[in-house]
Amino acid sequence: MAYSDKVLDHYNHPRNVGSFDKKDPGVGTGLVGAPECGDVMKLQIKVNSDTGVIEDAKFKTFGCGSAIASSSLATEMLKGKTIDQALEIKNTEIVNELALPPVKIHCSVLAEDAIKAAINDYKAKNGAPAPAAAKA
Amino acid sequence: MSHSKEEHHCWNCGEHSPSQRAARSLFCQFCNTLQAPSPDYYRFFSLPKTLAIDDEALQQTFYQMSRLLHPDRYGRRPERERTYSLEATAILNDGYRVLKDPVRRAEYVLRENGFQVGEQRSNEVPAELLEEVFELNMMLDELKAGDGGVIAQLEEARGRFLAMLDSIDTELDDEFRSHDAASGDDARMASLTAIRGILHRRRYIRNLVDEVDRQLTSRNA
Repeated sequence: MAYSDKVLDHYNHPRNVGSFDKKDPGVGTGLVGAPECGDVMKLQIKVNSDTGVIEDAKFKTFGCGSAIASSSLATEMLKGKTIDQALEIKNTEIVNELALPPVKIHCSVLAEDAIKAAINDYKAKNGAPAPAAAKA
Repeated sequence: MSHSKEEHHCWNCGEHSPSQRAARSLFCQFCNTLQAPSPDYYRFFSLPKTLAIDDEALQQTFYQMSRLLHPDRYGRRPERERTYSLEATAILNDGYRVLKDPVRRAEYVLRENGFQVGEQRSNEVPAELLEEVFELNMMLDELKAGDGGVIAQLEEARGRFLAMLDSIDTELDDEFRSHDAASGDDARMASLTAIRGILHRRRYIRNLVDEVDRQLTSRNA
């Protein structure tokens, strides 16, 4: 199976690799994993507490090319969005942007889960109750 | 267990057949002709549908049936019986491979009960484990980058994961027993759901240990 050019680009030149101090109250950390393929993805957001805007995002992913590309793209999509807008991000946007084949859709799902987990972590740290449905 | 009408009658002599006794269930009790084998492993081996099984009895049945089904015995038999013997031999070998291994056995029973095996959403992995997995991957990266300083830490982590596998296997054993003791379908399904969760965790950790082993060996090689 050939990777799309966009996947290869994000894989070879991942954006925003790294980490923030997870104890920083302005930072939300999402750590998710897919047991089946062994992928593990850490995605962090840095939020401006006055505006609720995500000013920066970083990730570190261990996994296949599609998982790395999905999380790299996710950090790009997050920057400049408010946390509420970020919650609207759907894995299908990642699928379309990267032209992921059906067998790699779970990578985009993982990225969406990581975004939600990071936002929930930020909200929990800052006193907002986490949505009941999501266990982050 | 309900059998269709046809299966109650021997294809060869037409008598009401076969008996349900282990190994002999494949043969007509009147004319001793091999019958169409059941693709259901439990039925094939005449085992009750329990998850905990007697390994030794299974092995003995396997040897016994291997002898009874050996192709040499069917060279002069009718075409239909020869075909059945080939089918039965394939089911015998596949079934034995699946049933003798607790993990494969549980996966087989899960699939038979409509569970999808091998798919899981991330929120089913405990957060504490993910932290540990992430750290382990960081160490593996450092090792790949040529930093031998992490080997001791990696080996320590490997030991922790192996200990986790041990306790998962105990957990699996216990859950097998509560599955087998469950009264009613609801209790049984709840138990199968728990088993699926345990198997997912097990596979995840197994993969990690394998990856650590690969990296450590390729370094030593």
